[in-house]
Amino acid sequence: MTATTTVVPGDETSRAPSETQWQIVLRRFRKHKIAVVSLVLLVMLVIISALAPVIAPFPRDAPSLQTRFVPPFTVDSQGNFRLFGTDHLGRDFYTRLLYASRVSLGTAFFATLIASTIGILLGMIAGYFGGWVDIVISRTLEVVATFPTLLLLLIMSSILVQNINSIPIPDFFANFLAWVFAVSPREARIIFAVILVLSLFGWTGTARLMRGMVLSVRENVYIESSRALGASNVRILGRHVFPNALPPMIVDFTLGINATLVAESALSFLGFGIQDPTPTWGNMLSFAQSYMFQHPWMPLIPSLPILFCSIAINYIGDGLRDALDPRQRG
Amino acid sequence: MVAFLVRRIFQMFVVTIVAALLSYGLLYLVPGGPVDALLAERQNSGQDRINQADIQRVQQRFDLDVYLPFRFTRWLIGWPSGPLFGSVGADWAIGCQTPGQVRLVYPDGTFELVEEGCADYLTLAELEGRRVSRGVFFGDFGVSQVILRDRPVSDLIATRLPYTLSLMGASILLAILIGVPIGIYSAVKQYSRFDYTMTTIAFIGSSLPSFVFGIFAILIFSVLAQRAGLPFLPPGDAVGVRDYTIPWIGTVQAGSFLDRFLRFLMPVSVLTFINIAGWSRFVRGSMLEVLQQDYVRTARAKGVREQVVITKHALRNSLIPFVTLLAGVLAALFGGALITESVFNWPGLGRLFIDALGRNDYNVVMALLFINVVLLLIGILITDILYTIVDPRIRLG
Repeated sequence: MTATTTVVPGDETSRAPSETQWQIVLRRFRKHKIAVVSLVLLVMLVIISALAPVIAPFPRDAPSLQTRFVPPFTVDSQGNFRLFGTDHLGRDFYTRLLYASRVSLGTAFFATLIASTIGILLGMIAGYFGGWVDIVISRTLEVVATFPTLLLLLIMSSILVQNINSIPIPDFFANFLAWVFAVSPREARIIFAVILVLSLFGWTGTARLMRGMVLSVRENVYIESSRALGASNVRILGRHVFPNALPPMIVDFTLGINATLVAESALSFLGFGIQDPTPTWGNMLSFAQSYMFQHPWMPLIPSLPILFCSIAINYIGDGLRDALDPRQRG
Repeated sequence: MVAFLVRRIFQMFVVTIVAALLSYGLLYLVPGGPVDALLAERQNSGQDRINQADIQRVQQRFDLDVYLPFRFTRWLIGWPSGPLFGSVGADWAIGCQTPGQVRLVYPDGTFELVEEGCADYLTLAELEGRRVSRGVFFGDFGVSQVILRDRPVSDLIATRLPYTLSLMGASILLAILIGVPIGIYSAVKQYSRFDYTMTTIAFIGSSLPSFVFGIFAILIFSVLAQRAGLPFLPPGDAVGVRDYTIPWIGTVQAGSFLDRFLRFLMPVSVLTFINIAGWSRFVRGSMLEVLQQDYVRTARAKGVREQVVITKHALRNSLIPFVTLLAGVLAALFGGALITESVFNWPGLGRLFIDALGRNDYNVVMALLFINVVLLLIGILITDILYTIVDPRIRLG
């Protein structure tokens, strides 16, 4: 027993100089087979959704009475092959699913990015400076965390989506978002509103986690020596505190994407998020539910991507957690 | 303890007021509402055009002509309801009955009427005799504006409450009864096949969206079962409207106990499944932590039987963090499961919230939000107090 424990660290140190920190993480991550498979499939999905306008076989919103409810893998009355069938308005499911992936994944990604940035910044400030700054941020955090999140998400989203024209979003920004999501600028405004709402409530967990990390990191001797050398607070935070508190944040970000993805789908499913004709997995599923008695295959089309992404992102988060944990060896 | 209680109740009070202010302010920003609804109704039906008096009447009924701060206080505590102390300030303006109109004439001769200032102020004296709620703070939530026009919101909530309570109560109870033993067993047999299976199921259960679960349940147990000629479950609603026949069971009368039970089954199962994941994971984590404690090792070293170690030494201590979950349970019992209720068209409070929000019935939305926040806060307070009771090491200060 003692023999093996003394050999393993020796092994580690002999290999250490040739490997950077990130190479170690990568090597460890690759051991988690399911996570690797999930990551590869997810990246493929992202690439496919990025290419949506190029590979989509039909126009996104073109309704057609002759081709309603065409089942998957069949040829419709017009002689077109429908990979995933058509919806209640005769729109091609495969085409809409491609665009929906872009909208759903993109919304989740950007909302989590904003929420994590806010959370990391506030958590870092609260943890590092302490005192009244910490009290103000922590109290705000507690109050926001007491609110029934789903109710407020629904209320905020419903307000913003109804008032979409009175929200000041610069045209160039709306156009940029429209380009990112491959939608019209008007649709991009609604997507932006939903991103805002989702990020507004998503930062509390990250902030709490970051604050805790910073509280432990700032006690390290290297922070003290850095300060003794005359480094400014910004430099200490940026060069020493942030990189050392980063690993749990990466896991948190990954799992955050899943939470946001599910939240966005739920909002759109209930009719308070992104609205038809902009396709998202959530609102496609909501329509599919109304017709599932006549066409049982319909709800499967939009819900399978949601299931896949949820599970895949969770496994990736799991793999990252194991890979980034310094207490684990090998 | 007393000082703690006083401080916490004061904090709760502040948070409640802030939440009320926020929710009221938020919803005030939403367009639509009774006046717009009336306008649209009239316009669509093609009847006589709506006139200023109609608008005024509707505004009066829903207090829309009172300035926002006072409308808020009237909503929150039912004040002011007339001149102060009976006579002071009878002619003070507190709102605007008819906005003033200014005629803007453009150089090319066209003109436009713009609302500007106020032509007819609403005074405190005029508020007298107007129906006002006793205030949300005292449990009067006013009247519903759209869903059940003019009926008290509390009536609406009272009719929906039993459905939510039964659904949430049954599913939480079942989830605890099933989830806790699973969690304990997983922890005791850590890394066994059972543990791996349960962890994976819990992992999937906690990461998947509940509406996908609900729809899959309907798909399998209603749609596909019915198509295959097997016994199936009714897909939604709490009570049926007409009789239906289920293979092997026979005809089910609408509104009978069997009908209600069959419709109850699916939403409860879905919610239970989702909750089991959370409970079992929680208990497993807490149990694993306790099993590593010194006193568990001591008990084993003394030769106490494993079964007694688990039930007496480990289990009882592992249930201490359990009370933290109670904070959420209280609000969940009342708030219901928004998404699951929507999927199964279950007439509970969650569904009511979605309906009210979708149809701009603000009083109902605000009442539900307000009740939810208050219950959450009460839940947290109860949790803190319970904590000191079950764990003597913790003192409130």
